[in-house]
Amino acid sequence: MTNNNHDATSISATESVVSESETIESGASNTVVKKHTRRDLIKKSLTLGAAAGGSLLGSRALASIPDPLITEVQNWNRYLGEGVDARPYGSPSQFESDAVRRDVAWLTADPKSSVNFTPLHKLEGIITPNGLCFERHHGGIAEIAPQDHRLMINGLVDTPLVFTMEDLKRFPRHNQVYFLECAANTGMEWRGSQLNGCQFTHGMVHNVMYTGIKLKDVLAEAGVQLKGKWLLPEGADPSHMTRSIPIEKAMDDCMLVFAMNGEALRPEQGYPLRLVVPGWEGNMWVKWLRRIEVGDQPWHQREETSKYTDLLADGRARRFTWTMDVKSVITNPSPQAPITHGRGRTVLSGLAWSGHGHVKGVDVSVDGGRNWHKARIDGPSLSKSVHRFYYEFDWDGSELFLQSRAIDEKRHIQPTKNALREARGENSIYHNNGIQTWHIRPDGSAENVEIS
Amino acid sequence: MQTNTATLNLLLLFVGLSLNAASVNAEESKAEKGKAVFAQCAGCHMVGPDAEHRFGPTLNGITGKPIASAEGYDYSEVFKTAASDGMAWSVETLDDFLKAPMEYLPGTKMAYPGLADESARANVISYLATFDAEVLIAESKVEESNVAEPAVKEKAPVILAKDVEVPTHGVLHLGRAAHVEEISAWDIDIRPDGTGLPEGGGLATDGAEIYDAQCASCHGVFGEGEGRWPILAGGFDTLTDDRPEKTIGSYWPYLSTVYDYVRRAMPFGNARSLSDDDVYALTAYLLYLNDLVDEDFELTSANFASIKLPNEDNFISDSRIEEPTFVSEGEPCMTDCIAGLAQVVQRARVLDVTPDTEDDEAGAGLD
Repeated sequence: MTNNNHDATSISATESVVSESETIESGASNTVVKKHTRRDLIKKSLTLGAAAGGSLLGSRALASIPDPLITEVQNWNRYLGEGVDARPYGSPSQFESDAVRRDVAWLTADPKSSVNFTPLHKLEGIITPNGLCFERHHGGIAEIAPQDHRLMINGLVDTPLVFTMEDLKRFPRHNQVYFLECAANTGMEWRGSQLNGCQFTHGMVHNVMYTGIKLKDVLAEAGVQLKGKWLLPEGADPSHMTRSIPIEKAMDDCMLVFAMNGEALRPEQGYPLRLVVPGWEGNMWVKWLRRIEVGDQPWHQREETSKYTDLLADGRARRFTWTMDVKSVITNPSPQAPITHGRGRTVLSGLAWSGHGHVKGVDVSVDGGRNWHKARIDGPSLSKSVHRFYYEFDWDGSELFLQSRAIDEKRHIQPTKNALREARGENSIYHNNGIQTWHIRPDGSAENVEIS
Repeated sequence: MQTNTATLNLLLLFVGLSLNAASVNAEESKAEKGKAVFAQCAGCHMVGPDAEHRFGPTLNGITGKPIASAEGYDYSEVFKTAASDGMAWSVETLDDFLKAPMEYLPGTKMAYPGLADESARANVISYLATFDAEVLIAESKVEESNVAEPAVKEKAPVILAKDVEVPTHGVLHLGRAAHVEEISAWDIDIRPDGTGLPEGGGLATDGAEIYDAQCASCHGVFGEGEGRWPILAGGFDTLTDDRPEKTIGSYWPYLSTVYDYVRRAMPFGNARSLSDDDVYALTAYLLYLNDLVDEDFELTSANFASIKLPNEDNFISDSRIEEPTFVSEGEPCMTDCIAGLAQVVQRARVLDVTPDTEDDEAGAGLD
């Protein structure tokens, strides 16, 4: 970087755009970057590769003159910064303002019942920061004071019970890292490549360390009767979200959680209480959880009949398709994060996960699936949690077709999108875990493509 | 809304000094009647001190205000144009608009057919006049100053931890027994066999009136769906098409889901506001819109479970594991897996619907 590019939305791809068309004035005590809209910048960056004259790579000759960032004293070297308490709850650096959730306005009718997307291309490691976990609401964000929240257990139990948040915090606590993926993640890609960026194609997933209690411990207090085979969790928001869950899952690994990544749940993630259903569709992880009914049959609620059922090519539809299958995506490089350094050493990075358990391996291809290389999984490998993988290689500057393919502990291999289409048709919406292809052009830009 | 009468009185105190008692009472009763009319607006509009924008803007102090001036609300283009033309809301313009909103301001988001009854319009306009923005502010200040006087607290008796009563149920003895009233307040779920249905019933013809007033603005007069709001009716024999229409009639397996969902979550922005019989009537009307019953049909707790939806038998259990890709055949291929070089067959940029790019308005949605 040879300029102080304060507008972080100008992903480094726009470096040359900034230097050729924007004025950067260095004042005495601060640096002013001319403001431009995010729309302008991304538009420019996306058209850069094709546009005559624009270059993603800029001038990449070895430095011929000494770097003024080193030879001259910079403002931040001289002038004092803010003291303690200037930021009682700290925020990301001002230079990271592009690492935000984004929505796709045309997807839904109203923002109160809509979704936004995690910026996967801006993340490292396996944990998603709380403020970047994608949101999906069906009646807006319910704001509930914890002292006003109640959890009821009723139905086929010996003693129907009511708990306060204080009561719930007296059960044994557990800490677990789990991914949450919306069943519709990648759903817009069933008919072909549509959205340019892993944030939009794969951003309905996040990975969080939850603190909470085991659902089975809470059910034991009420005493589930023998004929109790199904649960109906319900939210306190205006959608009163409900899903039917078989009791075996509840007794296996479901949790009631009140904290994420070390702090209280965020309001948009169900504060003060959320159900965690590891490895299963995000829609089942009921937020603002206020009630769990025990019954002997499923309820066939709206979100498991009209929605979250998978229409097949022959007109039949699968229901109760709970598990999220093995999946992976390369997050860097990707359309929102092109290669800006030219040929030579290149770090490819991505995420892999499976609702069936651990990810056992990830393979990476740079030639569109003709040949595969074992990627390196780094960081914790936890069951039903995302895994971080890397593949480091020397790029010769020629075009690439990047793909990743994950394999889980059940030996399920991530399929191609065409294999899924062959099995299910193109109207399933949900459970698209097909292999993603990014086309890297000789100028380093990247595009979402499908290949032969 | 307990503050309404107080607001009304306060307002009448300001404006009614020169009026005699009879006309004050007449105005008050008009506003009272207007409150009942407003019930059909409340799905989209809020009034009062805690009002927030919903699908429609808040309406506090609307009379006399310039059009499209509620802060923070995204008005339709026709409203913005009217605002730049200097239009304001008066009793007259409100009356004209409410008579036929979509004719008066074509393109308004308020897909409401209109209030034909002149006195109903007058009443609801009177009702809206009771929510004068300045009066509401004055009143909230009065409330604040009341709050400012702290009540003299009596000293609570000290309870020792050892004296706290511990329940006997369960393993850890946590939580307390639920009251029957608490369970019936929250346990509103319905199953396909009719378990959970309240006693009662409703006519499709009554459902039509509720639907036109409270549902049609999003779901369309015939259930065809406005914009990206869900389509509720039609779509028969489209499930194998390129663009299937998944409606109650063409797709949903069980009628119980309709009753359950409408009762728990609709109308959008005013959940739990319909009576049980209203929900029966609406459910009956939705069957009628899908050509599954006659116009004069009555749906009741007694005949509910006998009604089957056409697509019930087309739902199957999760059979993904039988797909070829799940059948493990040892190690995956690592070298020379596909012949020839990769060729691009489709690219996102052709149909660029990525946010913040040129044409980001028209992708294939998630329904």
